[in-house]
Amino acid sequence: MFELQGINKHFDAVVALENASLTITPGKITALLGSNGSGKSTMVKVLAGLVKPDSGEILFDGQPVHINAGIDSRKLGIGTAFQDLSLVPTMTIMDNMVLGVEPVTKLGLVDRKKALNEVSDLLDRFHIRCNPFDFVQTLAPSTQSMLEIAKAVLMKPRLLLLDEVTASLHSEEIDTLFHILKQLKAEGVAMVYVTHRMQEIFEICDDVNIMRSGKTVIGAPVGELTLDDIVFHMTGQRPDTENKEHETEVSHIENQELVLDVEHISIVPKVKDISFKAYKGEIVGIGGLEGQGQPEFIRALIGDLKFECDSITYLGKKIHFNSPADAVKSGIGFISGERNKEAMFPERTISENIFAGDAAKGKLFSYLFSKQVRKFAQGAVDKYDIKIGQLKNPASSLSGGNQQKLVVARWISMNPSLLLLDDPTKGVDIHSRRDIHNILHKCAEEGMTIIISASDTEELLDISDRIYVFYEGMVSAELSGKNKNAERIVAAMVGMTSQSLLEKEVE
Amino acid sequence: MERVKQYFLQFRRSPAFTGFVLFVIAIILNVIIQGPSSFFNPKSINTLFMSNTPFILIAMAQSLLLISGTLDISIGIQLALVNVIVIMIPQELGVPVYVGWIFGIMAAVTVSILCGVGSSIMRLPSMLVGYAMIFIIRGVNILIMNVPQGSVPKVLYKAYDSLIGGLIPVSLLVIIGVFLLCVIIMRTRFGKHIYAVGGHPRNAFAAGINPVSVQMKAFILKGFIVGVAGICLTLMTASGNPLQGEDYGLRSLSACILGGLGFGGWGSVSSGIFGAGFFVIIQNTVYYFFTLLYKLIPGFTVTSYWQNMVSDVILLLGLLMTIVTAKAQRETLKKGLIKQFKRGEKYGNK
Repeated sequence: MFELQGINKHFDAVVALENASLTITPGKITALLGSNGSGKSTMVKVLAGLVKPDSGEILFDGQPVHINAGIDSRKLGIGTAFQDLSLVPTMTIMDNMVLGVEPVTKLGLVDRKKALNEVSDLLDRFHIRCNPFDFVQTLAPSTQSMLEIAKAVLMKPRLLLLDEVTASLHSEEIDTLFHILKQLKAEGVAMVYVTHRMQEIFEICDDVNIMRSGKTVIGAPVGELTLDDIVFHMTGQRPDTENKEHETEVSHIENQELVLDVEHISIVPKVKDISFKAYKGEIVGIGGLEGQGQPEFIRALIGDLKFECDSITYLGKKIHFNSPADAVKSGIGFISGERNKEAMFPERTISENIFAGDAAKGKLFSYLFSKQVRKFAQGAVDKYDIKIGQLKNPASSLSGGNQQKLVVARWISMNPSLLLLDDPTKGVDIHSRRDIHNILHKCAEEGMTIIISASDTEELLDISDRIYVFYEGMVSAELSGKNKNAERIVAAMVGMTSQSLLEKEVE
Repeated sequence: MERVKQYFLQFRRSPAFTGFVLFVIAIILNVIIQGPSSFFNPKSINTLFMSNTPFILIAMAQSLLLISGTLDISIGIQLALVNVIVIMIPQELGVPVYVGWIFGIMAAVTVSILCGVGSSIMRLPSMLVGYAMIFIIRGVNILIMNVPQGSVPKVLYKAYDSLIGGLIPVSLLVIIGVFLLCVIIMRTRFGKHIYAVGGHPRNAFAAGINPVSVQMKAFILKGFIVGVAGICLTLMTASGNPLQGEDYGLRSLSACILGGLGFGGWGSVSSGIFGAGFFVIIQNTVYYFFTLLYKLIPGFTVTSYWQNMVSDVILLLGLLMTIVTAKAQRETLKKGLIKQFKRGEKYGNK
């Protein structure tokens, strides 16, 4: 029914989709799979009218169509349930459900009675026990997710797009959802189902479409693929069967001093139960698909988020930080990938930006000689090879990569004993990325402990000594030494714990 | 009965309830201080409505914009624009007064569209657009009418100042008319889209709504209401003044906030009415309070600045009240205070 061919999309220099294609048949559920940044969400947004492709063709019943806005997509009968929700929080459930498709009386007013009937039926069907007049912002996240799906179903779509809708649902809600999806399938509705939960694919999907770095790698019926095949197509590498030795080798790091020991931390709602260790001079990587609790975990460590925990031991002392300022005082550094929001002062000069961290340590009212600031900044610029025009230019004049190097320089010159990085190379060019890696390696050699979360698997493998993979707010695998390879990381990312992988290999 | 209860519960949770509570408190205070017989006199009620109709109308217009997630602070000087056009067109061209009215409304709609182009289409900060528009419109006003002048036919301003059946002020009918118009519009699809765009523009877009077009339509509607308000202002003053009403812009904004509005996509037009009503009644009350003081304490005299100060302080207290009554804001305040004073226990392990 629907066919997407040769879709290309660039966001500035980043290639989101490259010659991607997708075929959708009525009465079938097509799973759209891929790891981070493979372009599956962009693909959904193209169909929903939120992203306009640079080139490529969308065929509907063999006719080429153009989808330029949400309204075009709706007119074609495409209903979308977005991962990040598209409900208006300040409106009631009823108003949200019928938004854009309101039934109207002869006088041109919204037919509240009819809308109420439709919505009540829908809520019953989805087993959502809520008053239709409740405001959406007062509801639990899982209920909102269900409403998002209900809203897409209400418009009686011919094609239903579901983008990671089960991520925040409870198991009984998922059962209800699957029941409804099967009904819709019987009615001949086509569906595209984006997920990272493998068992769901085998439960309800008919076709599988796997994407890797913006390209469509394979499209096939679900029965023709095994789990191994899927992981292979997602990573591009066969699981290395030679590499069977279990995690027997005790790495040299075990003998080192334990810097950070976190026992059973949980952060509502993302992180459920994570225990975490980091040794002196080690680079610990945190991997996982987006939204599995990595940023929350790191922010909790520096005291920026509320959490519950059995104990956190840092350098032999039990600690809990009330604010990032406390954490910084105890020698913890934090570098965020969200430079503009959380790290930089874009309007201030480069030298001030570099000096900012050191200044925070000094006395509040001690006079800062501009020469001293400049000298400090010049030192850092030379040492970390940051490409700048002049020190007095605003920090926003730098390229993304150099901005990030500047932030790294600021924190490292404070000489923290533990450095936390949350996806620090987001939107950073490959050259600066390598520079940052070199800086981090050097620091680790000098005895700094580094915890780095990265969305890019290659990067993670490249930089870290040991990797924790997060899945649904828990650690699904801890990989080091020979176990540290792309297949295992990807397998763990989609929730196959190292244990279950090992069992499979034994068979 | 069940339905009435449902509606009351809905009203109880709506932001307009804040404004309603404030408004009722203000009226009770006013009645006590002024004395019931003096307050409920149709003549004094008429004066109260007549002189404040323009303000109440533009507070409604402003609340429409706030709900759709934008605002316009040049709304006050736009009143003066309508005023000068309504006076000058019949005076200079010799056409009937009603033609002047139509031109007045058209002028208000035109400048509203200009504001909309600036803040919705070009996406400039709406505060800045409004600020720039104040200067532009003021210049235009002075070009049209350089000194306060002009007159309105006696029949018209007498009619505006009269009571129907000796009880209901004509100006009240104008307010009710515009209010009903707003209520009906809010119940159409367009009205629902206003809420959606104000609440979350991106999600409204995803639902197939064009946020820019919705905001532009809201601006046009606002222009129409400002036109009506400008005509009321002209009938009230019975002359033209190119520079009056400028402070109505910010006053209408604070009236809406007093009425419980503030975030986009939230509240209703009645918030604007209650807020403006509170504003007006408090000023009235403070005036009578001071006359009472003059009577009670012989030899007590202060300048009228004191009256303004007292009423401003009460308005400020009213703003604080809105924080306490609106649940979301109350929660934010509470959380903020807890975080300030005893966050240690709330964070980390026990």
